Amino acid sequence: MTYFHFDIGERARHAGRFIGRVRGELLRALSERKSEIGFSQHGLAQKLDTERALINRQLSGETSLTLRSLADLAWAMDMEISFELKKPVTNAGQNQPMTTSTVGHGQIKYINGAAKRVSMLPAPANSELGQSKKSA
Amino acid sequence: MTTIEELVEANVISRIQVEMHPRDQGLRLLYGTPDFIVWLGELAKGSGPERRLGEATAAEQVDDLFNTFLSGQPLVYMKQFRSIRAEKNAVWELKTPDVRIFGWFLKKDCFVGVFGNWADVIKDHDLYRGYRIAIRRMRRELGVDETLCVQGVTPGDVLSL
Repeated sequence: MTYFHFDIGERARHAGRFIGRVRGELLRALSERKSEIGFSQHGLAQKLDTERALINRQLSGETSLTLRSLADLAWAMDMEISFELKKPVTNAGQNQPMTTSTVGHGQIKYINGAAKRVSMLPAPANSELGQSKKSA
Repeated sequence: MTTIEELVEANVISRIQVEMHPRDQGLRLLYGTPDFIVWLGELAKGSGPERRLGEATAAEQVDDLFNTFLSGQPLVYMKQFRSIRAEKNAVWELKTPDVRIFGWFLKKDCFVGVFGNWADVIKDHDLYRGYRIAIRRMRRELGVDETLCVQGVTPGDVLSL
């Protein structure tokens, strides 16, 4: 069986998923407030004295969120922000992340992939990681 | 009847995976056609739209989208904020701020990506219809239009929410 590992590197993965998680949490909170008290984007815009279009772009991820705007949105929804940095905890039996990067090595990884498929891609300049790999 | 395994064996589609958090398990399946996977490869190497809207890069957006999809997290919070949208002809669109991915659901929670492109390019050139037609044609040529294609127009038809 062939599969393609979409690997953008650990640093990029952390950044992208953090940004996505913040946005998801804002949307979850707004959805919750809407079902509780009918609070809407319009209500957010009114409370923050700004345009609804800006709120829409912030919530849809089409514009950057500053810490100030994040705090304002949370305040307008009457929600508290919980922020914490902690060391990752490894539990016995959990999945272990891979450490290689497609970006870093400039080549897509095919695990047990057909040679024909790999040849569709540019040859790696200098990377044995770029070769298709056979799994046991 | 054609099966997903046969499509994979014939190299018509390949399974797509992303690095998942140790606490997460894959609850959905993601596949891509060869051309789509080539596009993903270019994306991973840094290609992106001329003018980016999102704070994350296009590749980061897609990685987050795939991780969200595969780990079974919500793709819809409110009607106006959703990462999935139904097109006509049982074609579905997965969305990030800057990227659009078109494909269909082989089965519930099992999506195959066929086309990926920048959101502004798709809007500027109105590529929606062309993608719909091409995807429907592909399904017919593969003989899976009736057997490996989830019909439906709401996310609940194609995703376990």
